[in-house]
Amino acid sequence: MSHRHALYLVFCGVILAAGSAAAQTPARPGYDINYIGPTMADPVLQHSKETYVLFGCSYCHGLYLVARGEATDLMHSHLVGGDENGNVIGPLLRKGIPQTAKLSPMPQFSDLSDAQIAALVRWIHYGRQQGRYKEVMEAKDVGPGNAAAGKTYFEQKCVSCHATLPKNNDAAALKAQILKPQALEAAPSWNLDRLNDAKTAAARQRHGALLENYTAGDVANLVAYLQSMK
Amino acid sequence: MNLTRRDFGKLALAGLSSSALAQTAGKPNRSYINGVQFGLQPFCYHDLAMNRENRPILIQRLVQNGLGMVELHAVWYEPNFALPGVSADEARDKLRNWRLNPPAGYFRDIKKEFDDNGITICTVYINVGDSFTDAEIDATFEGAKAIGAKGIVGSYGLAVAHRLGAFPGKHGMYASLHNHDNLSDPDAFSNEASIVKGLAYSPDFTATLDVRHFTAGNGDCVGFLERHHQRVSAVHLGDRRKNNGRSAPFGEGDAPIIEILRLIRDNRWPITALLEFEHGTLRTGVDEVQLMFDYCKRALA
Repeated sequence: MSHRHALYLVFCGVILAAGSAAAQTPARPGYDINYIGPTMADPVLQHSKETYVLFGCSYCHGLYLVARGEATDLMHSHLVGGDENGNVIGPLLRKGIPQTAKLSPMPQFSDLSDAQIAALVRWIHYGRQQGRYKEVMEAKDVGPGNAAAGKTYFEQKCVSCHATLPKNNDAAALKAQILKPQALEAAPSWNLDRLNDAKTAAARQRHGALLENYTAGDVANLVAYLQSMK
Repeated sequence: MNLTRRDFGKLALAGLSSSALAQTAGKPNRSYINGVQFGLQPFCYHDLAMNRENRPILIQRLVQNGLGMVELHAVWYEPNFALPGVSADEARDKLRNWRLNPPAGYFRDIKKEFDDNGITICTVYINVGDSFTDAEIDATFEGAKAIGAKGIVGSYGLAVAHRLGAFPGKHGMYASLHNHDNLSDPDAFSNEASIVKGLAYSPDFTATLDVRHFTAGNGDCVGFLERHHQRVSAVHLGDRRKNNGRSAPFGEGDAPIIEILRLIRDNRWPITALLEFEHGTLRTGVDEVQLMFDYCKRALA
């Protein structure tokens, strides 16, 4: 083991230990645990959440993207759904939306650093993914799903990566796997092997984007299609 | 400057050119600090849903923050009919019917809740709009009056204000015009010209100058108060950055908070300073309001 590698391992250990300790830390002074919630295990996500709160986003758009008043519903916004790594949200945050029919225009955040913008974007996508997952899982009266429509969806969105899929007749398991593939659920790591794993990063990004845009009907159709495969 | 409570009341009621403004000042109370009557816009308690059920918590927090005046949203005392299974139109009709036929003694009891805790309701915040019938507007004023408010305020534009002008005088009250910073909407109250235009619709109109939004719209708050203080009943006191900038903690934006407070104090204007914040904080609402209030107290020390 090289000296540099050893240093990285120590560094990762410190980060993970800090994350673990933070997860167990009771409410700290000046931190509204009732509103912001307990400290998250992932320090990057926790930082993103705090950044989202500190710059006032949660005031209008809701901490978990349940909007207040006239604010845009980020959970269902097409604009957010089409964003990739802040390519849409970032420029919008910098400029604001001064021309609007609403009482209060969306302010501009031109003074924020790129890292702060990235943190806001990260929390918005995280919040949207959590919310959309819950919505799809709890959706009722969706029906059995249309296998033909599922096939069309699969060919448009999935087949470029998934030429073949393992057979699985369990609808609930399929649904869970579509929404949150287990292979992409690993805890974050700064290990270089994983940090530079572009394939997994791209897959995580892609599935996150899909999750943010699935309707309950889309998922039901996909399940029906995958079950119909021989 | 040391101004006694008696002085404040006299000033509030004497020598003012607007009949509406003569009604704006309430009895000074525990958040009357060195010549400025402070209150709260309770939107500040971000974690506290504004509804009837949470009203006791609101009162508790106001007392905890040492505040004796509040601009109370109607939703703190009106029932919510927008329940699952109830259409928007149906809920709106039920609310209108409730306003027209409130339970006997309902408002008196609510007023007592606040009175018992030393809190004056200066205004009721309610967004009167096109869906309001004339009778409903009258009922809104009567309800607000019954809980002790001197006026109503809301986020309506010029068109609604034009219609509203005839109502407050009938009830011995005023209606206040509240600005945002939407400079692209010709109906919106957003700059000096639009507010002045609205004030001209009725002698019973006052302005509630939202300092944050006025600053974000590149307005000159100090200049506005210099020119129009006789028609200003309150300021929503918070901080924001210019050029449609973001909200900021007190002292970190472009709003001239200290100058505004000293203008009110040194000129003995009966303008209520309603603390309001929309900036983000990791602190509790109570802690953040206290920081803001302490900032203002230092400005007046």
